[in-house]
Amino acid sequence: MNTRYGMVIDVDRCTGCGACMIACAAENNVPPAAERATPRTGITPMLVHTVSNGMEGSLKREAFLPVACMQCENETPCVKVCPQQAVEVDASTGIVMQMPQRCLGCRYCMTACPYHARYFNWWDPAWPAGMEKSLNPGVAVRMRGVVEKCNLCHARLHAAQEKAAAAGKREIDPRDYVPACVEACPTGAITFGSLADENCAAARAARSPEAFRLLARLGTEPKVYYRSARAWVRALAEPRNETRRKEVQRG
Amino acid sequence: MEFTRRDLLTWGSGITAGLVLTPVPWKLLDDTSIWTQNWPWIPQPARGPVEVKNSFCALCPNGCGMRVRMAAGWPVGISGMQHHPVNRGALCPLGFGAHQLNWHPRRLRQVGHQGRACSWSDALAAFRKACAEGPVAIIDGYPDRAASAICHGFARRHGSYRVALRAEQRALLPYEKWSGVPAAALGYDLENTGTILSFGAPLLDGWSAPGRFARLWSVRGAGSADSQLRLIQVEAAPSHTAACAWRWVPIMPGSDAALAAGIALVLHEEHRTAPNAPVPSTTLADAAARTGLSVDAIRDLARLLCEHGPALAISAQPNPAVAALNVALGAIGTRGGIVRRGRRTEPLAAADTLPSHLRAVLVDASVPADFLASTEAEIFRFAAWEGSAGRNDWLLPAPGFLEELTDIPTAPLSSIETYAVAPPLSKPPAEVKSAAQFLMAVDSSIPDVEKIIHARCRQLFQSRAGHLQGEELAAAAPPESAQAFEKQLWSGAVWVGDPPHFGGIPCRLTAWPQSAAPVARAGWTAAWPAPVLPPLATKLYQESSLREPPERRAI
Repeated sequence: MNTRYGMVIDVDRCTGCGACMIACAAENNVPPAAERATPRTGITPMLVHTVSNGMEGSLKREAFLPVACMQCENETPCVKVCPQQAVEVDASTGIVMQMPQRCLGCRYCMTACPYHARYFNWWDPAWPAGMEKSLNPGVAVRMRGVVEKCNLCHARLHAAQEKAAAAGKREIDPRDYVPACVEACPTGAITFGSLADENCAAARAARSPEAFRLLARLGTEPKVYYRSARAWVRALAEPRNETRRKEVQRG
Repeated sequence: MEFTRRDLLTWGSGITAGLVLTPVPWKLLDDTSIWTQNWPWIPQPARGPVEVKNSFCALCPNGCGMRVRMAAGWPVGISGMQHHPVNRGALCPLGFGAHQLNWHPRRLRQVGHQGRACSWSDALAAFRKACAEGPVAIIDGYPDRAASAICHGFARRHGSYRVALRAEQRALLPYEKWSGVPAAALGYDLENTGTILSFGAPLLDGWSAPGRFARLWSVRGAGSADSQLRLIQVEAAPSHTAACAWRWVPIMPGSDAALAAGIALVLHEEHRTAPNAPVPSTTLADAAARTGLSVDAIRDLARLLCEHGPALAISAQPNPAVAALNVALGAIGTRGGIVRRGRRTEPLAAADTLPSHLRAVLVDASVPADFLASTEAEIFRFAAWEGSAGRNDWLLPAPGFLEELTDIPTAPLSSIETYAVAPPLSKPPAEVKSAAQFLMAVDSSIPDVEKIIHARCRQLFQSRAGHLQGEELAAAAPPESAQAFEKQLWSGAVWVGDPPHFGGIPCRLTAWPQSAAPVARAGWTAAWPAPVLPPLATKLYQESSLREPPERRAI
């Protein structure tokens, strides 16, 4: 049985601290923002959104929704449109891989991604003098002009595979492969593991009646699930009826 | 044979078509892509052996346990230490980028005197002269370290020792006043609390040791309608903590004291207050008018506190009314309330007011960057980065993150005593010196940090109290000798003291205290002690809309 790596994010446990965002950037050698970078042009493979129930005053309620690449399993939109075959779904892990070496920077994949989880390197990656010593040696720095996204800390998977191989094992120890955001979350809001493994905590959490996926109606079978006991949070997973009606009208 | 224009076009088309059918253009394209991603100005990570070391964050007095990934001798990644008794594997968001702070463009590398570059010998001469001419004060931001002992020892001979207390530490000062037990010996027994009534305290947003409450909340309180730990957030505006709280109670800004008095009044009416607790002189209608809540809402709030105890009120700033509410709730010296840890009997002298006629003030690098010394004396300020607030006559470059040997005493507000040792993991620049090293250069009779740490380790072993806790110690037998005990501490283990003892805080409060002045809401970087943020903090406020841009801090 192939492994299908995925995550279940408990929205009710997310405090919006942003530790996942910084840990992700530090792990993957994402540079600090360029001077002119904005939320639209910056690079945040893991991005925490603040969402609300739409009410005002004392009735207003907020929640935090971490969004990364959804690791779509079916008809993966970015894979479909890439003219360079720079994106592919790893058949053995289910991880949607981005290969910056092949990327031409056409950004079709960014247009195709329904979750806006892909980012373009608008500027040369730059750190203050000397700070390159603090870069993670397991991850190459990406060049200006390529698209990047969350790859579930693939370097950590490689390290776990090397460790298993050195010990003469074919399978990795699940404790050796934990993405940086999962490790950093102070409230343990993110559960990670193989969704194909019935005994895995992530697979169990994904089957919870309170679990949901963003834009599930698109049929791309994302492997990132969310969980919330709050009905208004679950309702955010799909666009409101009015938006949906317009989309249908437009075909 | 004649070579015609037609032949040229035919050959050209043939060559083009042939090339397209060969791998050559695709190989060239691929090579070009790879080549353009390896410009010489693109930084390359350092190569070298990778290892993971246990350490502790000494940026603030919470001393969170960390696992530091090192490559080629430099820290390249940080994660939380799962077995740490206080932060339990969690860190503050800024801590994950703290290893990049040492290369921050605003790192101090030169002694400065009123804006001019000077040498260490100039600074030493000026400080020696100041000590000879009059009393000096040493201000510490992280008391009880070995370096603090050096500061304290020097100050005893040459003046006075003061501590710049953080807001959450100052919130315990009313109990010190009423009971005589030093605030530095008090902590919150959050692990056993049933309901927390937070008056604007950012419990899930950087309060105290950020990981401690986050972990507790996630295990006992989060995502459940009937949670073991109920967090009621009283706050005028929505915040990260209010968004996650079991219940958010929006009140009028600055009416915390009125609400505390109103709740105490309901408790008194319903005979639910602790014996001898004072009664507020206000009325419930007055409290309702001030807070913007209804009388019934205040009654409901008081009942919620009683039905799921033990209950504890926490304020972001010193607020005697909130402290008095804890007295009314019987939360002083009890399980799930405010407890006493350790045997400290001497209170810390706060640096808010300094003695008059001081000749000089030395401010340690551990003092938060926004601290303002209220003095006319000459100020010698140690800092690792530019940007400390106020007038600093002498700006002295100090070691940065993980660059010096330090011990990690008990975190403020913790209910248990802890002790750990953090050896240096990064080589500091040649130009930096800590305040302890500076004072030792002035007075050679002071023992150095390492000797004090050795003595403290031996003392802890001989006391036979507590136990060691660490990632590699789960199955190991307790150390038999002082050397083995010390070795384990130096390799990342944490000494954990005995559990808190309840009782022993005799609180004498006869009248309900006066209301405290409303305090402005602190920003999300308020708990961060350094004047600069890790460069990757831009992810939070510039490359996303998760946080407001910080006002005073440098990127």
